[in-house]
Amino acid sequence: MSFEDLPHTADIRIRVRAPSMDDLFKDAADALMEVMYGKDRAGLDTTEVALESPDAESLLTDFLSELLFITDSKGVVIARADVSIDRFRLRAVLYTEPFDPARHSGGTEVKGISYTGMTVQQGSRGYSVEIVFDV
Amino acid sequence: MPPSVTRAGEYEWEVPIGFVPKMRVPGRFFLSEHLESILESGAVHQLANVATMPGIIRYSLAMPDIHLGYGFPIGGVAAFSLDDGVISPGGVGFDINCGVRLFTTPLGEKDIEARRRDLIEALFQKVPTGVGGKSSTKVSDRILEQMMVKGAKYAVESGNGTERDLLRCEEGGFMKNADIHAVSSHARQRGYAQGGTLGSGNHFLEVQVVREIFDPSTAKAFGINLGQVCCMVHCGSRGLGHQTCTDHIKVLEAATKKYQISLPDRQLACAPLDSPEGKAYFGAMAAAANYAWANRQMITHASREIFAKTFSLEYADMPLVYDVTHNVAKIEEHLVEGKRMNVCVHRKGATRAFGPGSPDLPSDLAGIGQPVVIPGSMGTSSFILCGTAGAMEKTFGSTCHGAGRVMSRSAAKKKLSGKEVAADLLKKGILVRAHNDNAIADEAPDVYKPSDEVVGIVHNVGISRLVARLSPLGVIKG
Repeated sequence: MSFEDLPHTADIRIRVRAPSMDDLFKDAADALMEVMYGKDRAGLDTTEVALESPDAESLLTDFLSELLFITDSKGVVIARADVSIDRFRLRAVLYTEPFDPARHSGGTEVKGISYTGMTVQQGSRGYSVEIVFDV
Repeated sequence: MPPSVTRAGEYEWEVPIGFVPKMRVPGRFFLSEHLESILESGAVHQLANVATMPGIIRYSLAMPDIHLGYGFPIGGVAAFSLDDGVISPGGVGFDINCGVRLFTTPLGEKDIEARRRDLIEALFQKVPTGVGGKSSTKVSDRILEQMMVKGAKYAVESGNGTERDLLRCEEGGFMKNADIHAVSSHARQRGYAQGGTLGSGNHFLEVQVVREIFDPSTAKAFGINLGQVCCMVHCGSRGLGHQTCTDHIKVLEAATKKYQISLPDRQLACAPLDSPEGKAYFGAMAAAANYAWANRQMITHASREIFAKTFSLEYADMPLVYDVTHNVAKIEEHLVEGKRMNVCVHRKGATRAFGPGSPDLPSDLAGIGQPVVIPGSMGTSSFILCGTAGAMEKTFGSTCHGAGRVMSRSAAKKKLSGKEVAADLLKKGILVRAHNDNAIADEAPDVYKPSDEVVGIVHNVGISRLVARLSPLGVIKG
């Protein structure tokens, strides 16, 4: 599993750890999709995303918010995101499939991405961040 | 209870200036000793943080269902001066105009017993629910704009209700200052396919029976009778609302810097009410709120059609009691230090509870007060309350919105299985219909504060008066 569940009463709070920023964002995307749609997600089509933000936390929030928009407006689930970040400029290729009620209905709708406790931290073993999904 | 928070009444607590730096007013919240054990200290901090915001009037308030939210606590109420006050999406929430309404039927419990399972199944099939739930028709851009401008009125004009429905809805079913140009293309794209959908999480459609009347004359005026079967709809503005909030948070973060507003929490991002950014958020919020009202009106119509078909009822036999929102910011006139003035009241997880003589009440209820619909958590009682003069005096005409969670979703999923919860509820005579087990486990009664305790507090404090209790007979969930 790419993330760890943390306690939170009303919303969903997770911690993601990865060796690089690119992988941190990839795993955060995976976490969001797993919360919303479960583990069974295939990547049959691709979509590209390009964003720029002033800092790491804003970039992560904007990226995850854009994923919420894409899944909701296009009716797809994202199996995987290949992310590449340069300073605070992000490019990602998203691997998607159409939403399938039989396989993708077991999750929880996420309304937005919260900044609560969100600090991208860099340590000796890589990066970590806590994210709260507003449900 | 955090140290330095002092008791201000039997169920009232004061958070003094200085609890966090730069508070302009104290905080006030309502809580019993029993609920104190599940009060999150972080939520009290959030209440205190709101008190630092420019132009806040009298108190930063929170209702007994207080818990941690985005910037503002859930259960939060804060009023700001129009001259030097601010507007903040955190004070409204991602789900703009999440709200609830109740309509009655002439049926009693025995009348529906033989066909209760059919009824719940028919409602489940008719009203789209759940993650990824889409309506059967995608609306055009023109219709989406009508929904955002005219809200429930558009839905009624297109055959989804009656004029009387609008009289029994806050704001007559739509806020007049919607600005559709402040709603982004991203938000519109999410809105096209979600008209008439319920969503998921704690949203539901519930068939209920009136089990107890606390205030007979008010219940009669509201059209509520003991033993009556009713239908409650709880949902909001869906993806269009969530996106609108996300979009404007970004704009207001920049505005916070531009107007040099110092905040203890980034999530309190705001702008002066009379700034272009503040006006744009207000207009977009109103548009999203209207979309939610259109949505609830369409779901009401779909539900009435099922009741009519199943039990041979006339449409006019199923009147709306009232529709309330619990996530919104509104311009309202209130008495502030002896002077009547317009203020911007933010309610996030809090409900308007106007007392007798207030504006925006239907003429037949003007002398009584506004009906307040309080949904219980799944499998527990819901309540009808009445707004009071006490609310006008203490809380800018506000009261609680529901129960408030005590157990996280991850803990709920580990502790409870959806099947066990559903079986348990069936033993109590409640049918649950959802797309999957997690939707049921997540919302099990154990994961919430007892709803009767929360409404008991607001009744005792005098900010709303208990009128009736309703029990669930069947619920459909996302």
